Amino acid sequence: MLGFLSARQAGLDDPLHLRRAESTRRVLGLELNKDRDVERVHGSGVNTLDIEPVEGRYMLSGGSDGVIVLYDLQNSSRQPYYTCKAVCSIGRSHPDVHKYSVETVQWYPHDTGMFTSSSFDKTLKIWDTNTLQAADVFNFEETVYSHHMSPVATKHCLVAGLFGTRGPKVQLCDLKSGSCSHILQGHRQEILAVSWSPRYEYILATASADSRVKLWDVRRASGCLITLDQHNGKKSQAVESANTAHNGKVNGLCFTSDGLHLLTVGTDNRMRLWNSSNGENTLVNYGKVYNDSRKGLKFTVSCGCSSEFVFVPYGSTIAVYTVYSGEKITMLKGHYKSVDCCVFQSNFQELYSGSRDCNILAWVPALYEPVPDDDETTTKSQLNPAFEDAWSSSDEEG
Amino acid sequence: MSRKRHRLVSETFGLKRRRERGDGEADPLRGESGSARAAVAELVRLFPRGLFEDALPPIALRSQVYSLVPDRTVADRQLKELQEEGEIRVIQLGFDLDAHGIIFTEDYRTKVLKACDGRPYAGAVQKFLASVLPACGDLSFQQDQMTQTFGFRDPEITQLVNAGVLTVRDAGSWWLAVPGAGKFIKYFVKGRQAVLGMVRKAKYQELLLSELLGRRVPATVRLGLSYHVHDLIGAQLVDCISTTSGTLLRLAET
Repeated sequence: MLGFLSARQAGLDDPLHLRRAESTRRVLGLELNKDRDVERVHGSGVNTLDIEPVEGRYMLSGGSDGVIVLYDLQNSSRQPYYTCKAVCSIGRSHPDVHKYSVETVQWYPHDTGMFTSSSFDKTLKIWDTNTLQAADVFNFEETVYSHHMSPVATKHCLVAGLFGTRGPKVQLCDLKSGSCSHILQGHRQEILAVSWSPRYEYILATASADSRVKLWDVRRASGCLITLDQHNGKKSQAVESANTAHNGKVNGLCFTSDGLHLLTVGTDNRMRLWNSSNGENTLVNYGKVYNDSRKGLKFTVSCGCSSEFVFVPYGSTIAVYTVYSGEKITMLKGHYKSVDCCVFQSNFQELYSGSRDCNILAWVPALYEPVPDDDETTTKSQLNPAFEDAWSSSDEEG
Repeated sequence: MSRKRHRLVSETFGLKRRRERGDGEADPLRGESGSARAAVAELVRLFPRGLFEDALPPIALRSQVYSLVPDRTVADRQLKELQEEGEIRVIQLGFDLDAHGIIFTEDYRTKVLKACDGRPYAGAVQKFLASVLPACGDLSFQQDQMTQTFGFRDPEITQLVNAGVLTVRDAGSWWLAVPGAGKFIKYFVKGRQAVLGMVRKAKYQELLLSELLGRRVPATVRLGLSYHVHDLIGAQLVDCISTTSGTLLRLAET
């Protein structure tokens, strides 16, 4: 580390090099810290977490009882011991609260004035943060499994909502006009996860229980762009219907922060890394990533480190792997029941995870122990004269 | 002036140092170099040819290659290269969608020709081996690929399925298969359960590898204990822990 600092000081290394090195070192030292806590508000399992992308200060959580809570993550007290307090919450007594479990919450990508939440009560609600009222509600005929809004979109305000049971489709709702714009058809069973690309504002990836992952361009009228194939078969085949991304349901989807690669997890206990531009399986093997979740699994990728890490809920622990080489770094143990979601705060390299045991745990980089002050050396010399011994080690005095 | 500092950040912070170097020489199973081809060659030697009266080509499994080559991504990429060069064929074994069998192409060709010798479908099989195998290295074939690109008619495709060279995957697509592999799969599944059962019944569900290899082989294990142990380690059904007394196999919790 001193080598990196002195190189940066002398201008021999790029400034980004030091920043990435320090971020990587901090992520490698993530652990549970007795000084950091998140206030426990939820009475049932935490399904989803989201940290706002603007400042990284506020976090939303959605629970299985329909409650949505907003936390302030910033430590403004001078003490090392800090509990992230809930600033406000939409509890069971709120008139607009969701009737059933909240499956996904997401901040509006451009500021914290608004957030969206979707739930099993067949609605997608848009909330105003300052007044905590539902500004708009989209009602659907089927349960909403998940939704996502593009983090880079400037030309459109589309929210992609996922449905499954009766007709598996992705419905795109426009926030500006308040109505649904169009539907993406193509999957055969319920769609469990969706994500917009962080690189191109019109590219969307969906993962479904029929083992397929499809990449879509929402401007294109005729079906999906690519269906991902795990065996990397010849692309000359006209029929793509046999391509499967996993050998079981595909539960979770996450783009890397530069949008060039896509990670998918499935109930065949595998995680795969795909090249998002041509849909090729990069064949990075992470080993067995245990997954028996019947609904979507929300995992996350670090951002700003020299070798990116992926944090995947693995039963009741969180497994940390390097993305491009597939090596397992560590397993973060701390939850009592299965972990459902995790988010990474890239400014401070902290990980927050929510689980079915109603807790949100904060994983903080292990810091060095503080160096003791110099006053201690002066106190040592003030020994009580009664304890000083009169024995001398000199040979002359008999 | 060359700077030693230009190392990867990951090396500096011990990402590579953290990886446990398993004991190399003392362990009878892990004395392999890092190459996937050498691993497949060694595993093919473990296959009991006499059990099937030499009618089956020696089959190694992908999970066994993982136990010999420590980095899985490198193993997968090398196997993919070998597959593209046409040196090995990867076969979908029916019992688990993830278990792939690996056979050298030469062995596969000779054994399939021997199996279909003198049978009515010999012509279709020879045409398949001559035209399709070198051209397409995939695990599966689609309907239009077979009819248009390679010029097979429907009765010929039915003959190939009867011969055991193709297995039905979906409407209009087939997996590549080995004729007569059913017996192998039956012995393999039974043997895997038996060896896993040996570890499960041990106290604390863990066994020293040397003790496991020294035990009496149960009657259901026909393919050999070391064949199954390689597969169990690679499929992560048991965890491999290095101790001062050698490698310990512990049943995986999940």
